[in-house]
Amino acid sequence: MDLLEYQVKEWFGKIGIPVLPSQRIDHPTDLKRLKIRYPIVLKSQVHGAERAKAGGVRFAETTIDAIAAAQSIFNLPIWGELPEVLLAEAQYDANQEFYLAVVLDTAVCRPVLLGCKEADIDWESAGEKMEYVVVEQEFSPFYARRLALKMGLKGTLMQSISSVVEKMYHLFVQKDLDFVEINPLAVSTSGQVMALNGKVRVNERAIKRHPDLTEMAAKIISRHPSTEINSILGDWDGVTMRGKIGILGNGTGSVMATLDLVANAGGNPGVCLNLRHAFLTDKTPTTFRDRLETGLKILAADKGIQVILINFLGSIPQLEEVGQVIAEFVQSEKSELKSQVVRSNGSKSRREVSVLPLVIRLAGSEFNAVREYLDTIKTHSDALVVVENLDEAVDEAVRLAKSTVSKK
Amino acid sequence: MNLTPDSKVIIQGFYEFISATHIAQMKAYGTNLVAGINPGSGGEQQYGVPVFDLVEEVIEQFGTIDTTIICVHPYQVLDAALEAIASNIRQIIIISAGVPPLDMVQLLRKAEACETLVVGPNSPGIIVPGKILLGTHPSEFYTPGPVGIVSRSSTLTYEIACELTKAGLGQSISVSIGSDAIVGSSFLQWLQILDEDDTTEAIILVGQPGGGSEETAARYIAEAIDKPVIAYIAGKQAPPAKHWRQTGTLATIIGRDPNFGTAQSKLIAFKEAEVPVAERPSQIPELLRKEIN
Repeated sequence: MDLLEYQVKEWFGKIGIPVLPSQRIDHPTDLKRLKIRYPIVLKSQVHGAERAKAGGVRFAETTIDAIAAAQSIFNLPIWGELPEVLLAEAQYDANQEFYLAVVLDTAVCRPVLLGCKEADIDWESAGEKMEYVVVEQEFSPFYARRLALKMGLKGTLMQSISSVVEKMYHLFVQKDLDFVEINPLAVSTSGQVMALNGKVRVNERAIKRHPDLTEMAAKIISRHPSTEINSILGDWDGVTMRGKIGILGNGTGSVMATLDLVANAGGNPGVCLNLRHAFLTDKTPTTFRDRLETGLKILAADKGIQVILINFLGSIPQLEEVGQVIAEFVQSEKSELKSQVVRSNGSKSRREVSVLPLVIRLAGSEFNAVREYLDTIKTHSDALVVVENLDEAVDEAVRLAKSTVSKK
Repeated sequence: MNLTPDSKVIIQGFYEFISATHIAQMKAYGTNLVAGINPGSGGEQQYGVPVFDLVEEVIEQFGTIDTTIICVHPYQVLDAALEAIASNIRQIIIISAGVPPLDMVQLLRKAEACETLVVGPNSPGIIVPGKILLGTHPSEFYTPGPVGIVSRSSTLTYEIACELTKAGLGQSISVSIGSDAIVGSSFLQWLQILDEDDTTEAIILVGQPGGGSEETAARYIAEAIDKPVIAYIAGKQAPPAKHWRQTGTLATIIGRDPNFGTAQSKLIAFKEAEVPVAERPSQIPELLRKEIN
């Protein structure tokens, strides 16, 4: 989950990373009650990059200027996202600007400290200009000093920069971050440092152990439609593609293998979900059964999806309830269809007036009971296919997706 | 690695990822499951296993424990593993999925210092078909035989074991090292174990996008492994995952290839190492037959 700048700066302030006096603006009229002194800078609070280039950052000398600027920023979408709030901030006279970051490197399984004496880095050539230090053992401030020295800093500046890096690292660990970045970190002529902009990405798997983050995630979810949630919260253990075949599985590997097989068989994979983990959208602890229910609903709600392919093998928790959840889903699809046919005058699209076909691959003796149960439902529904072989399940799903299209 | 049936095993926690069926399977396989740990449930029985509050209580009663299987809530994994290490357990299998990565960083620092083998998290553990089951592999997919499997994915491991068994090719050792972003043991360690294992005649390596462990494994196979290896990489058609600055920027800074972590980069590495790569799981038996016959 990515935080917005004003949220990041609240954290920075609390942990002692120097930030400018600022104020959150929810509405242009808030500027009438501004507590910071002019001139100010107004910044659009969106997740997208290159905010300044897009016109999301404006300078203002007076209240009138500021209100006009705020009005235009509130109506300016950046990468399709309209800001809900703006940040009004004092201006700062920078003599030098640096780049600082802490990132988790999953390849060496250690955090890495990054630093550069330039703020506007050309990421293509970052390898030559960026200095880094791997935090091999338990962190201690000397790692931060090592980075500052590698950056070529000396004296008090070396100390003030390494002190900022140290605080960034503490924040990184405290809040389970994937990365924290200050870009730029400004240095005044007197040597004072100031974080002018900050970015934070929280690890998805850790959100639920931080009450404040859980609340933030819940707000994002309640405000944004599901496709947008994905881009703000990251991949919650799924893949979003635009195809017609939605995939559910009980492990990352088999979800990916199924996706490959569908694509190789000439089908178009759609949203793919791994049910082994809880979704970020779940506010309370979930069971496998809950996730299967939610997964089916997500796929059914996706207008592009015309076939659902489930691939379960080995064993899954709450197995006895899985058959039931699937049966209920098939039944509810049917009853919805009936009520739609009654209401509609024949103008509904194909997808809306047909039952969503379900192809279920179940492999393993633990699934025998479920298979038998589903066989009893199958006799009543032609839209439910249960097979044991994966290749066969994929072929069936691809065939069904194609036949749905041709009947359109 | 102690994979003999007399090695003593405990289970820490009975969370969602382990069930009565798994434990019954382990017992049927002859795994020497001595106790379970579940704080607050000391003195009770869970799935027919005596339960204790602390690992050290088990050690007091049964002596040295060789392996622990951790199935606690992901947020409690670090604590459980540190408790096991403090009790001198040197083989840890973590079944729980979704452990926060910074907890794993901390655990790995400790495990490296104490020379402890950590398998997982998000792993079904290890199975030596016909001999011992340490974890949750569904044993019906396996038969004893000459093929070793090392994988990053649990479900794909079964998928492949199942295809092999159907084709009459049994397995020697099968391990899934876990599909979380940060896991304990590496492909390299397991390739070495499988290479030294007398019953193993050929090895299947199963990978997926992310990290560089398949590439490292490919180079190691070319240099040090004489047994035939077949690879399979899932996720070739999946869109690249969101990473820091989208692509391999961190990789570039640390001096790695910008393609780092992609399925493409893994395929290239195997090609360079002349390791045959299967298109799909069901193709593996046929590729294997060419190598071992």
